[in-house]
Amino acid sequence: MTHNTVLNWPQHLHWEDYYQPLGISEALRLLDEFKGDAKIIAGGTDVLVQMRRRQLSPRVIVDVTRIPGLDQIREEQGTIKVGALVTHSQTEQSLLIREKAPALSEGASHVGSPQIRNLGTIVGNLVSGQPGADTAIPLLALGAAVKLVTANGERTIPLNEFFVDIGKTAIDGTHGLITEILIPAQKRGETSVYLRLASRRALALPILAVCVVLSADLMKKRFRHSSITLGPVARTPTKAVEAEELLKGAPIEEKTIREAARKAAQVSDPRDSLLRGCSDYRKAMAENLVERGIRQCLERLEGIHG
Amino acid sequence: MAKKKVEFVVNGQQVSLEVRQDERLVDVLRNQLGLKGTKTGCREGECGTCSVILNGKIVPSCLVPVMKAEGGTIVTVEGLEQEGELHPLQRSFIEKGAVQCGFCTPGMLLAAKNLLDHNPEPTEGEIRKAISGVFCRCTGYRKIVQAIQAAAEIMKDSR
Repeated sequence: MTHNTVLNWPQHLHWEDYYQPLGISEALRLLDEFKGDAKIIAGGTDVLVQMRRRQLSPRVIVDVTRIPGLDQIREEQGTIKVGALVTHSQTEQSLLIREKAPALSEGASHVGSPQIRNLGTIVGNLVSGQPGADTAIPLLALGAAVKLVTANGERTIPLNEFFVDIGKTAIDGTHGLITEILIPAQKRGETSVYLRLASRRALALPILAVCVVLSADLMKKRFRHSSITLGPVARTPTKAVEAEELLKGAPIEEKTIREAARKAAQVSDPRDSLLRGCSDYRKAMAENLVERGIRQCLERLEGIHG
Repeated sequence: MAKKKVEFVVNGQQVSLEVRQDERLVDVLRNQLGLKGTKTGCREGECGTCSVILNGKIVPSCLVPVMKAEGGTIVTVEGLEQEGELHPLQRSFIEKGAVQCGFCTPGMLLAAKNLLDHNPEPTEGEIRKAISGVFCRCTGYRKIVQAIQAAAEIMKDSR
């Protein structure tokens, strides 16, 4: 990037209007009125950076942070519901999330910095569609879904159908919005872990991140089921399906754990990156982190039962 | 561009301003209110020197559209001093030599104040986490941490 480009970056954000609707229907009406030229923001931490870099140039901003009722985390009949305005800080500190979706709390605690976590939302992190997003990786492993509202009505999309490509998801914030995330609450005998490798502990993109969700019967020394996700190792957050299959009902043994980690690493196809390290290194680390993730899940399960 | 009216409380004072509605809070604070203690560095929320406390939370003011602050309560580094007396954190930063080039200092002070407001007796780890969103490129972190620890002690004794 030349200095010239830097100097050309504008001081102002160059949108024509800034709306702060007080209801979802009003937000949808604004999106409809501007037909693709209006963009939803909540925390705005990604959109403002993209606008500064001229990767995005919406004419109108629809800031939804004043819509009441969307800033709650609650549990209803085994489902944790995270509202569209719930920030990373809120998620990191929520006792409900720590108990029943610990990997999400851990993921949220790694996003950006305390400042960014106070502004940015989990829903925004999902909509940005980055394959290494610290909340997308655990949410995909946890089997979460999002509730999407457009002028055509409401529908629920599971996250395994949500991510389309780098920066591209089933929603782009110009035609609709996500009102909440639905996460199956973890039951007894089930736990999750999020592990992240980065060059520093704050404000550093992950070299690699892994989430392991695991349930096991410790008495019979068998895995029940698992869910393993990795990123950024492909164009979207990635599920290690073969490793999950291998663990299903398998005995809890060194050999199984190592083999599952090896299989999980096979789905990763990370790029050589000056920021994140070379592909070979990152693949080796994928295997390493998955193995560690499985072990930590087992330790947590033992802790709960013991 | 049509200007909009915006009102908020800055350092205890109610202000009412006409602003460009595509402006960032940091630019309004600096250019319209003359509060140049809030620095502008990366303008992408990475460096943390533009940090202010908005409604009790520390945020990067370069990523806050000014309209979002409407009706809010803001504390900038200028708000730390009370009736001509420096805040214990400010005194402590001076005494411990926690200021080198000074560019990160406003963000560091506010991150520390925000921490001590919620957690008056933080551990070293909690201090390091609380200031992790502000970059000190002089890398003078050790003295900054010591200054915050010393200020916490002073504030504890005066409670």
